[in-house]
Amino acid sequence: MGQLFESVIMAMKAILQNKTRAFLTMLGIIIGILSVSLMGTAISGIDEVFENSIQGMGQDVLYIQKYPWFMMNDEWWEYRNRPDIEEEYAEQILERASTIAFATPSSGRRSDVKYGKNAVERVEINGTTWQEAYISALKLESGRFFSEPESRYGTRVAVIGYDIKTNLFPDEDPLGKEIIIQGNKFRIIGVIAQQGKFLGLMSMDNIVTIPLKSLQNIFGGRWGVSVSVKPKEGVTVEQAKEELMFIMRGLRGLKPREENDFSINQQEAFREQFASIRMAISAVGLGITVLSLIVGGIGIMNIMFVSVRERTKEIGIRKALGAKKNIILFQFLSEAVIISLIGGTIGILITVGLVGLLQKFFVARLSIDLIIISLSVSVITGVLSGIVPANMAARLNPIEAIRYE
Amino acid sequence: MALLELKQVTKVYQVGAVAVHALRGIDLMVEKNEYVSVMGPSGSGKSTLMNVIGCLDTPTSGTYILDGKTVHDDRIEQSSNGKLSDDELAFVRNQKIGFVFQTFNLLPRITALHNVELPLIYAGIHKKDRIEMAKEALRKVNLEDRMHHQPNELSGGQRQRVAIARALVNNPSIILADEPTGNLDSKTSREIMQLMDHLHDEGNTIILVTHETDIAKHAHRVVHFLDGLIASDELTPKGKG
Repeated sequence: MGQLFESVIMAMKAILQNKTRAFLTMLGIIIGILSVSLMGTAISGIDEVFENSIQGMGQDVLYIQKYPWFMMNDEWWEYRNRPDIEEEYAEQILERASTIAFATPSSGRRSDVKYGKNAVERVEINGTTWQEAYISALKLESGRFFSEPESRYGTRVAVIGYDIKTNLFPDEDPLGKEIIIQGNKFRIIGVIAQQGKFLGLMSMDNIVTIPLKSLQNIFGGRWGVSVSVKPKEGVTVEQAKEELMFIMRGLRGLKPREENDFSINQQEAFREQFASIRMAISAVGLGITVLSLIVGGIGIMNIMFVSVRERTKEIGIRKALGAKKNIILFQFLSEAVIISLIGGTIGILITVGLVGLLQKFFVARLSIDLIIISLSVSVITGVLSGIVPANMAARLNPIEAIRYE
Repeated sequence: MALLELKQVTKVYQVGAVAVHALRGIDLMVEKNEYVSVMGPSGSGKSTLMNVIGCLDTPTSGTYILDGKTVHDDRIEQSSNGKLSDDELAFVRNQKIGFVFQTFNLLPRITALHNVELPLIYAGIHKKDRIEMAKEALRKVNLEDRMHHQPNELSGGQRQRVAIARALVNNPSIILADEPTGNLDSKTSREIMQLMDHLHDEGNTIILVTHETDIAKHAHRVVHFLDGLIASDELTPKGKG
């Protein structure tokens, strides 16, 4: 025990005697650990934002739409000839289906939204029915969603997203206030809780939701919609999807051999898409990280060889006095690990600072797990880069070492 | 039984394609509390002998027994401990040998006390006892008041006394001094040799390598080396008296 302690003390003394050199050596590790922890922070941040924004969609919600969510560029030409999805489908589905609890048509248009002097340009105005509140599992920050009669009669009421609220009503309560959409007044009855953005994915934060009928009134005319469907409790999404497919084919009058002329989309598709993006980001990040750690490790190895060379005589003296191989090995190994660990700690501290800064623009959080992983990675780097020089020190011939000047 | 016994010890170095015979069959016995000088021109093999005795190096052939411990015996199979491993040699050095070098070989940047502690650290002695023993050793060489100084704050004579304290601290079977006065002026040399004589009086066994006759006279027995062999082995006037 005393011997190991002595080794660590001597290792620290050696580092303190060459502070500048040790610091320069650390730089590689600092950068390496910085990229480990930043990468980890970014990925967990992306995960969190993704989960938040996908929540608004509802886990088990199916969307009957003209286009599938993800398609190749040239496929679009095939899908555009499909007939539009009619808003009546929603009611017809509810009548026929045994697995469906809610179904609502929705459609969107873009418009400027004003309140007094404040305005937000080109806001997504989403028209839907009262059932949307049950389908999307929306969390409201305040107020309520619109009711069945409000849907049916196309009352001029609106539920606004978090960003709309902060832009139009920086310091007042929006409930009961009237905003202007396309020259029409809409009374605000609810505000949706903040969701966060994800890679350009549609976010509920920047949306104004009004009854579909009102949307049709103010924009004039009717057009294709998307029908959102929520299965009953105890029914799997797959079962519901199967029944939905059958009903839709009936509504469209398709013969058995004919292909579907509609798409049934679900959250799953986003997850798959997200997983591949996340994989790409992780792979690039991992590559950069491993590369910088290798460079940092080589730096340490290099300086350890110099350190062993410089202290050859010391090693000889210690061996003459009875130091065994492992003790010498441990002394130099601890020097490498200490350098690497200090570098890693500095890297984490810088990350903590950067994360604090990043949080202003992006969801970023440095987890304890990530700190532990980063510190372990720096210890491992230290051991790997120190083992060869330390082994060289341990194997020195005492007679030759003690004569070395 | 002799404290130290060498039988037909040879050492051959391979320098490139040439085999250098540094020791050509040495027989030497040293008893407990003997005071032996080893003399001889450079290249005569006396340094190699010191390395072998000090367990820094192993013989090519022959037998070496130190204080009842077989360090090397080529009649015994390697597997049954006829030859010690590096770590076993380190253990023997730590327990049985006290080195005093011409160039002192103290570690810089640590105190005299810490230098003296080193053999005890490697012997695994507890810190409290260790510091007591190291202080006691420094007291024996009259350097108690300098124990918190680093080597570069000490004179040559003081440094060599720290080195002697370090050699003494683990109660070795034998003290090996290699030209201990080689780097010192004559006055300091006398002081160091008085200290060596005193250590011998206290019961220590000392082997002293030197090329100065005056220094060699302090011992009771002088062994002359020439070309890897013992040329003469006789008692000094001090030894006879």
